[in-house]
Amino acid sequence: MTFDPQAATRTPPKKVIFRIKRYDPEKDKTWWEEYEVETYRGMTVLDALLKIKEEIDHTIVMRYSCRMGVCGSCGMVINGMPRLACQTQISEVASEAKPVIELEPLKNYPVIKDLLTDFTKFFNKHRSVKPYLIRKNKEEVEKGDAEFLMTPEEHKELYEYTLCIACGLCYSACPVAASDERFLGPQALAYVWRYVSDPRDEAWKERLEAVDVEEGPWSCHYAASCSAVCPKMVDPGAAIQRLRSVLIKYKLGLFKKKTAKKAVIPKEQVKPKKPLPPESKLVEGVDIEALDKAPVEIPVEELIS
Amino acid sequence: MAEEKSKVIDNRPGWIASINPWVLRVVNNPERVAFVLHRVTGILMALIIMAHIFVTGTPAHTGWEAWVEEINKAQGFSLVTLYFFFFAGIAWFHGLNGIRLLLVEFFGVCIGKPEKPKPPYIAPSLKACQRKLLYLVFLLWPILWAITGYIVFFK
Ligand code: HEM
Ligand code: SF4
Ligand code: FES
Repeated sequence: MTFDPQAATRTPPKKVIFRIKRYDPEKDKTWWEEYEVETYRGMTVLDALLKIKEEIDHTIVMRYSCRMGVCGSCGMVINGMPRLACQTQISEVASEAKPVIELEPLKNYPVIKDLLTDFTKFFNKHRSVKPYLIRKNKEEVEKGDAEFLMTPEEHKELYEYTLCIACGLCYSACPVAASDERFLGPQALAYVWRYVSDPRDEAWKERLEAVDVEEGPWSCHYAASCSAVCPKMVDPGAAIQRLRSVLIKYKLGLFKKKTAKKAVIPKEQVKPKKPLPPESKLVEGVDIEALDKAPVEIPVEELIS
Repeated sequence: MAEEKSKVIDNRPGWIASINPWVLRVVNNPERVAFVLHRVTGILMALIIMAHIFVTGTPAHTGWEAWVEEINKAQGFSLVTLYFFFFAGIAWFHGLNGIRLLLVEFFGVCIGKPEKPKPPYIAPSLKACQRKLLYLVFLLWPILWAITGYIVFFK
């Protein structure tokens, strides 16, 4: 997404009308509601929403957490474009000539209430592409004492793709996902490319074969809206084209990834890891009630010393 | 109420997104317009080819020479020449943009190189040579269409 670094320094219109698309699941009713908000310089759309929630209407529902463009939970359609509410300055989307901002829930996701959308399927797609480093020798990863090396040039090739915060804006903008629910979508496919192109990953063959399906990169038609809305400049559109062209080469027997480098033990002395106390691991089977009676005390001092 | 399951809205625009690039108003995204045009022209051409086969099959019953002569006579503004003109417009866009899409989608070229994000944070593929090719398509398309129109109507 194009960002104007100067936007936060400009004064937005004094009063801005927020037109918000509401949905009440209990009454199964959708309607537009308008709120007038007094703005200040540097105010973001999320700031305004919180102000509305605090001062005018407590019933508005949206999702947010970090309010600084990191957690990826505040995506919504702002004046027709999927954006992060916390990263959108009012001065960017409202003008003196048209002091109106329209907010809708993200497209392509089921709407639970008002601006709140259900990301379950999106995250399941993300999970399905195994978004983590896979080594043939599992011990290397589990033991955790070795480093997987790559050159700065190799890092530069995939750094961009590692910046994804899974905000789902790209999936919301995609015209293919708009009609095909099975399509893996820009986010998951960009992740596939991120690991296929990672010189440390050893599962490229399995990844390519898993993604050689209709709902994989073949369904992309490069409308490039994903790349145009991504708030982290991930360029998922380009990642899918790279993935597809490599997949074509692979199917023609013309692609072979360089074998991954061996993991190396760093030369400097590694401190032996202290095992965590059992209470610090909140795994299945933890007895919350018992914990309530005797609160957990994690010996932080001892652990970091 | 407790037992009743709350409803959710399926908020997917559906096939409308394939014919209306402004379902969302994404800025800096002419590729989306090209996507819609390519899809619409492709489908129209597929339909036209079916009609074409049907129409070119007719003279098998009535005699080829007379038919070819009649088509060659077609000049000025008639139903036949207007149809040729319409088809030319569709075919030029689909063909020109098709070359761009082949480069981008099958060869994975013209989409720039990954880079470190810096202001104004425009994704590399949106300023790579595919974008220049797209502008070239939008420039050449009306020119070639007009030239074809001139030939169809006045030659
Ligand atoms: C100059 C010749 C042509 C070229 C270079 C070309 C190129 C392409 C390319 C690259 C695509 C894939 C586009 C995408 O992934 O979004 C495509 C799609 C398509 N083409 Fe063509 N094509 C040509 C002629 C034709 C003809 C003659 C027809 C009609 C019979 C046709 C019908 C279609 C259709 C229906 C699609 C699918 C559109 C979509 O799903 O969005 N094309 N073409
Ligand atoms: S690729 Fe960009 S738009 Fe898509 S989920 Fe990741 S950060 Fe969000
Ligand atoms: S609230 Fe975390 S990205 Fe907006």
